[in-house]
Amino acid sequence: MPKKIISVGKKIWATMTGWLKKFWSNFRDVPLISWLVAFSVTVALEIFIGQALARMVGLSKPPALFGVALVLDNPAKFLSAIIYMILVYGLPVGVIAYLTKGVGNQIAEWLLQFPLLLTSVVHLLLIYGVMHYWTSISDYRLLVARLAMISIIVTLSLNVVNGYMGEFSCSHPGFMALGAYVSSIFTVLLFVTDNRFGDALLPAFLGPFMFPVSLVLGGFVSAAGALLVAIPSFRTRGDYLAIISLAFMFIVKSLFENLEVVGGARGISNQPDYANLWTIFVWTVLAIWIINNFVRSTMGKALNAVRDGELAASAMTVNTQKTKMVAFLFAAFWAGIGGGLFAHVIRYINPGTFGIRKLAEVLAMVYFGGLNSVTGSIVGAVGFSLISEALRPLDIFKWIFIPIMLILIMIYRPTGLIAFREFDVAQLFQPKGKKDEEGVDHAAA
Amino acid sequence: MDVFLQQLMNALQWGSFYALIAIGYSMVYGVLMLFNFAHGDIFMVGAYIGFFVSSGLLALNLGSVIGLSTGVELGLVLVLTLIISMLLNSIVGMGVERIGYRPLREAPRASAAITGLMIGIILETANLALLGPQRRSFPELIPTTTITIAGASVTNKKILIVIVSLVLALLVHQFVQRTKWGMAMRAMAYDYVVVPLMGISSDRIALMTFAIGSALAAAAGILFGIAYPVLDPNMGILFGWKAFVAAILGGRGSILGAALAGFLLGFIEIFVTMIFPSTMRNLIAFGIILIILTFRPHGFFGEPFSAQLRL
Amino acid sequence: MPLLEVSNMTHFFGGLRAVHAYNLEIEPGQIRGLIGPNGAGKTTIFNLITGIYDPTEGEILLEGKTIKGREPNKIASRGLGRTFQTLRLWRHMSVIDHIKLGRYSKLDYGLPGAFFSTPRRLREEEKTTKIAMDLLELVGLPETADQLVTNLPYGAQRRVELARALATEPKILFLDEPTAGMNPEELIDMMKIIREVHQELDLAIFLIEHRMKVVMDLCELIQTLDFGEVIAEGTPDDIRNDPKVIDAYLGKEVSV
Ligand SMILES: Nc1ncnc2c1ncn2[C@@H]1O[C@H](COP(=O)(O)OP(=O)(O)OP(=O)(O)O)[C@@H](O)[C@H]1O
Ligand SMILES: [Mg+2]
Repeated sequence: MPKKIISVGKKIWATMTGWLKKFWSNFRDVPLISWLVAFSVTVALEIFIGQALARMVGLSKPPALFGVALVLDNPAKFLSAIIYMILVYGLPVGVIAYLTKGVGNQIAEWLLQFPLLLTSVVHLLLIYGVMHYWTSISDYRLLVARLAMISIIVTLSLNVVNGYMGEFSCSHPGFMALGAYVSSIFTVLLFVTDNRFGDALLPAFLGPFMFPVSLVLGGFVSAAGALLVAIPSFRTRGDYLAIISLAFMFIVKSLFENLEVVGGARGISNQPDYANLWTIFVWTVLAIWIINNFVRSTMGKALNAVRDGELAASAMTVNTQKTKMVAFLFAAFWAGIGGGLFAHVIRYINPGTFGIRKLAEVLAMVYFGGLNSVTGSIVGAVGFSLISEALRPLDIFKWIFIPIMLILIMIYRPTGLIAFREFDVAQLFQPKGKKDEEGVDHAAA
Repeated sequence: MDVFLQQLMNALQWGSFYALIAIGYSMVYGVLMLFNFAHGDIFMVGAYIGFFVSSGLLALNLGSVIGLSTGVELGLVLVLTLIISMLLNSIVGMGVERIGYRPLREAPRASAAITGLMIGIILETANLALLGPQRRSFPELIPTTTITIAGASVTNKKILIVIVSLVLALLVHQFVQRTKWGMAMRAMAYDYVVVPLMGISSDRIALMTFAIGSALAAAAGILFGIAYPVLDPNMGILFGWKAFVAAILGGRGSILGAALAGFLLGFIEIFVTMIFPSTMRNLIAFGIILIILTFRPHGFFGEPFSAQLRL
Repeated sequence: MPLLEVSNMTHFFGGLRAVHAYNLEIEPGQIRGLIGPNGAGKTTIFNLITGIYDPTEGEILLEGKTIKGREPNKIASRGLGRTFQTLRLWRHMSVIDHIKLGRYSKLDYGLPGAFFSTPRRLREEEKTTKIAMDLLELVGLPETADQLVTNLPYGAQRRVELARALATEPKILFLDEPTAGMNPEELIDMMKIIREVHQELDLAIFLIEHRMKVVMDLCELIQTLDFGEVIAEGTPDDIRNDPKVIDAYLGKEVSV
């Protein structure tokens, strides 16, 4: 009897996925640019008629994050939310992407003659535009988008260590804390008048220009902290990094707890509001670009070689020690940048922010998205942030649901959803024609 | 001098908890090469099981039913609580192994570490959801009496806690050194492949490793409950991570090493608070550990080994 | 001056004397062989010379300069390439990336190049890719460049290892049982490739082999090792007829 049910279930599943595949095959040759155009239209639609439409289907206002939170709060609104989502997102996106794919492919083809940089800028501007207007509807969306982008930076940098290098580092919250504190001290000391650091030392208009300096400073300080971890950890192979980095994380946390000059356990607040959407966007793009460059360089490949066979790597002239060191400091640098941005989004930090919970969160994003994969980290960071926000109404049960999801992913795809894949920007922007070249799938064997 | 002795006793007691938890960590790490990041929460679950078992036993009112004096009754309850909770918690531990780790035996070790982390979060949240955020106070199983030794006053609880922990640690050590099962564990720690050749399935050894570790964690939980009678769902987190570090400090798979490192951690923490403000405790403890690991990367009793993450 | 000179090298693993008073001189362009029963210490000698272990005693000179106690990567970049007895390829890497990585120390675009794709990096990468493709051509695997190395058949994987070692531009190539586990067809291919490599790239080769045919065909001079000591040294003909060699091998077989 149960066997029958299972086989029937399998059949249904197969037909459903069959349909989905068939449906999706209509969109296989839609280039990125058409998708972006379709999303722009959708966003415009939501801005202009979203409110009215929401009223019509029985919602008080357009759902902030795809209606999941809304439905979880009030299951009766299920139908309304679905209708809204289809009318505002599903239908227009699908139709416009489908209709413009011919033109889109022509444009993409035409763009090929220009340097990749120009094509990238065009696409990035479109992406930013979509995001800018999409987040203009609610402050909550804006906050989620900003935090999600910061998660991309942090996740990607941890992936360099845990994925590309194949070690297990636990110190990322510590590096984030260093970056967050250093940049906060910098900006609050110089540009804010408060009762901890006294009067602002420099005129406020300079602030936004000095903000990158403060971030980079934070990045360098966390790279210096990483040196403390790296020196004892990388002398011999084994699990030392896991333990030493863990100890480091606790040390950083309790160091700040004990430093009364920076607020002790109460932390620092009143960070100026420099980390707006476009600033974070630029930093995220920079991080993705540079980290992707790094992991695809010979040095990045050497990192893979050290992971998959250190002896052979050194016999092939790779300085394994130095490679690991550079990669680790590099990762710490970006974690510091992420921490600095984070501090200026939340505008309040304390040592408790950078503890075990943060560690679990970052690790979850890395392993959710996929090891050794830039795409994976982007998907992991954004996906995890969105899921985690959308499930907020579940209250504490969210923390049962998310871990179960992650355990299932680990069981069925132990290296994460999109692991071991190269991220090639040129391929991303290419026209999608008949031959349909997909990225070489280096899926885990 | 008496202050010192008194603190020494405090340190021994505080170290007992770390030692018992660290042994569980160390066994799993030694035998299966896994970081069982759920272990701290298994300790928490053990403490709660102990709480319910002892409350239940007290409610049975054995004393008046069978006609025992209060002292004997409490002693009986304590022993029964320890035994029953250790058994129950070993079932929890085996469940964790079965659900979270066995499906990942061939996967990268890091993935298993992530499932462990997630199971830990589930245990905490489930506790929070089922029992609510309020703290529980552990029933008083031993009426406190104070004994004076060499000018230092020491409570009977402390002596009991230290003795029980030492006995348990030695028992497990003997088990691993002397019995056939222990030998299989050591063989598995040395080489994963040979154990099936000995006619013992490696799955069974894995289960047993988790069972023993979790039983010790339950004992630690109950002893903790006796000493500091407040339990809360997050009590396992910091304890767990610190015990993890102690386990590594002891050396891979070394039971006595883990126990020793656990006690050392207890000493450091207690004596740090004598001199520095107590907020500096973690800072200094982890700082010292970092220094020790820098000079003895394989821990006290560990041997150099090379572990690939098997990506 | 010999290209590689090892004198009086001894190595202990704890109490086990794995190599004893070992001497070796290799001239440029020579092909030399090292044979001996299992556990004789052949691989250990390779590991000692390539810097994986530090010899307890003795001196190792490459082109007259000592390499004893240097890190493996330094020794490799000074012109000592090697393959391994058991394949040591990188599971998640494509064939071409393996070979390009052999040029790690020759590539020079530094950290700026690694972080920002500078024109210099693009140039260097292009050059390296070309060299790597040439090497793949040489070992007869040009069409596998973008495949994952684990998808290749065993014989091809061995050839990837060879090409990877060649990418380091070695002056001497150490081959640890290059034909181990190969079927007769693959074996003949491999011997042909070794000859070609030797001729085209003008390097010295030092190889360990268990298959007598391979050693006898390829090598000018052969050393026989037993219990870490050289018991015979000479041309293939000398070795073939040396009673001590026959003894070492037969004795082993009898005991097995
Ligand atoms: N790292 C090590 N530690 C301890 N002993 C070792 C080590 N490496 C090799 N040995 C021992 O040294 C001796 C020589 O080993 P080696 O691998 O050099 O033999 P070999 O001649 O290459 O044999 P084979 O033909 O089987 O490859 C063996 O007895 C081996 O057990
Ligand atoms: Mg050998």
